Amino acid sequence: MSAQPAPLESVATVHPLKRLWESGPSGWNHALTRPVVLIPFFIFAALVPLGLQYVEDNSSWTDAQFWTLILANCAMYACLAVALNLVVGYAGLLNLGFIAFFGIGSYAYALVASDQLHQHYPLWTALLVVMAVTLAFALLVGVPALRLRGDYLAIVTLGFGLIMRDVILDLDRPPVLAGHQFGPDTLNLTGGTNGIHQVDPFNLPSSLPLIGPVPHFRMYYWIFIGFLALSVYCVLRWRNSRTGRAWVAIRDDELAARAMGVNTFKYRLLAFATSAVMAGVVGMIDAAFIFNAFPGNFDVQQTVTIFIMVILGGLGSIPGAILGAIAFTVPPFLLQQFVFYKYLVVSIVLIAVMVFRPEGLLGTVSIRPRKTMGGTLELLTAESAVEASELPAVTDTEVADLEAAAGAIVEDPEWKV
Amino acid sequence: MESVSGRKSVLEVRGLMRRFGGLTAVDRFDVDVNEGEIVSLVGPNGAGKTTVFNLISGVLRPTAGSVRLLGRELVGLPAHRITHQGVARTFQNIRVFPQLTVRENILLGTHHWTRSGMLGSVTFWPSTLRAERAAQAEVHTAIDLFRERLEARLDDPAFSLSYANRRRTEMARALAARPKLLLLDEPAAGMNPYERIEVAGLIRSMRDRGLTIFLIEHHMPLVMEISDRVIVMDHGVKIAEGLPKEVHSNPRVVEAYLGRRAASA
Repeated sequence: MSAQPAPLESVATVHPLKRLWESGPSGWNHALTRPVVLIPFFIFAALVPLGLQYVEDNSSWTDAQFWTLILANCAMYACLAVALNLVVGYAGLLNLGFIAFFGIGSYAYALVASDQLHQHYPLWTALLVVMAVTLAFALLVGVPALRLRGDYLAIVTLGFGLIMRDVILDLDRPPVLAGHQFGPDTLNLTGGTNGIHQVDPFNLPSSLPLIGPVPHFRMYYWIFIGFLALSVYCVLRWRNSRTGRAWVAIRDDELAARAMGVNTFKYRLLAFATSAVMAGVVGMIDAAFIFNAFPGNFDVQQTVTIFIMVILGGLGSIPGAILGAIAFTVPPFLLQQFVFYKYLVVSIVLIAVMVFRPEGLLGTVSIRPRKTMGGTLELLTAESAVEASELPAVTDTEVADLEAAAGAIVEDPEWKV
Repeated sequence: MESVSGRKSVLEVRGLMRRFGGLTAVDRFDVDVNEGEIVSLVGPNGAGKTTVFNLISGVLRPTAGSVRLLGRELVGLPAHRITHQGVARTFQNIRVFPQLTVRENILLGTHHWTRSGMLGSVTFWPSTLRAERAAQAEVHTAIDLFRERLEARLDDPAFSLSYANRRRTEMARALAARPKLLLLDEPAAGMNPYERIEVAGLIRSMRDRGLTIFLIEHHMPLVMEISDRVIVMDHGVKIAEGLPKEVHSNPRVVEAYLGRRAASA
């Protein structure tokens, strides 16, 4: 090469802590996902109820049980936020019907572990049933819906969520389709608005070696924390493997991902189904925790709550999802005398975060389009602004790309396979 | 259109046609690209060059015609299957994955020839670990040509790269796919003269490593310098094909670029 080399981009050697600070929240996100941070975090989280118990035993404070319950709730939301983050943050699929899978998991467990159908499956069999049922529903929705993009997918999944809620409310009597009644008159699957009560808790020892007797709340707190640790481990492993790279690539630029040999439909479905099964298992643990499956536990507001957690913490960030869950569940109880202002404060904080940090506290992706971040549309417009003289006029191909990026259905050979 | 040296034909396009409504963007287009060749596709803006690439790589489906890679028909295969068959491409408007690091971008190139599933990566299954190691090793092979530019930036997100480095990342990503045929869509667009000379050197060294290259380029001196053969398109039709200097003096080509009066002058 006879070219005179252009000056190389120099990388100064700086102190790793300084570099971490300057790399911004996405750099912190990276740092917080290291095992050296996560393992102590989970050990600490598991020890918290013991600490609360210790304080209660040695002072006049009597709220250890109450706070363990709140923390168990918090851990449950963290599990859901991590699962939602997988499908929305990584794969970029706006799944507004997410909470329906939580409900399906709850009801699937309640049906095989209560007097509703007089079934009392052992724990592991029930777990398999729950996973199979949520997976089946995920495929039922995902296979047709994932051919849509962006807003269209959001609307279809939102519709699914609403329909599932109505179906569960109406299944206290046998379903009737086109004048034909399925099942006997006495068939009552879901208990309608009452839900299913007296669901079996998991058959677990009530006392553990070394620790002694374990109260119900604490046991389920540990189960949730354990499941959270397992989810975080799996999701982080996936993110740093071929599967996770394909997810993020599809989110960033679907056309380019396909050109690199990624079967985009398959990977979108994988992300959708995996997150649904995770939500289903959380629903099962929750049903055993609160002894019932109740339709109010998974209405649209719950979806919004979990979305707020994920967006507040940062799309595409696992520590962010956990942080969002903590930030949204614990402070309301700390500031109970101000509970009247709860939604006011939450709204103001959310607006402030969206204005000043649209990518969330620890996030990597902005939900607001930016020139330096995001997908196809931004890249295209940014380039044409710079290269207007060099680029030809927009061709039909590019129009097709733009449509694809904007979410319309375009000619897509892979669907015909 | 038999190759002069009698080398094996890698890409064989016959009667390729694509209509968008009433517009015929590509009309009965034929091309052969032989092993180890650099073939350039040139033409005025809107001539249908990128559409040809989109038809070959499966982004668009042809209205008619056939595309064969090493004798296997590609028309009708979805885009990701075509990559599996051995076609890799870069895009005119650079399409790196902005949120992935340079390393991850290049690892995406290895996606289609590595095998690792979700269970494998959670359980540290040996075959998954082997696949991941092979992919990581390929990153170092793929950036060989761009080492001084990209090596220091490997763990930076792609949106933070300069324009030229994004192009290099995109090329490295295509190389990591170990293609039999590499489609480069305007690899030197938006580059300064020095970088353009660098690109010319890059394309040559890719060819010297045994790659077959089909490229679209606007910058004629670059095309003249590196191409073994040049194909000229205008209004979706091939109007000339031959050695660079033959095409350069072809009156139809001059007409397409500069208008009728200039051609007759």
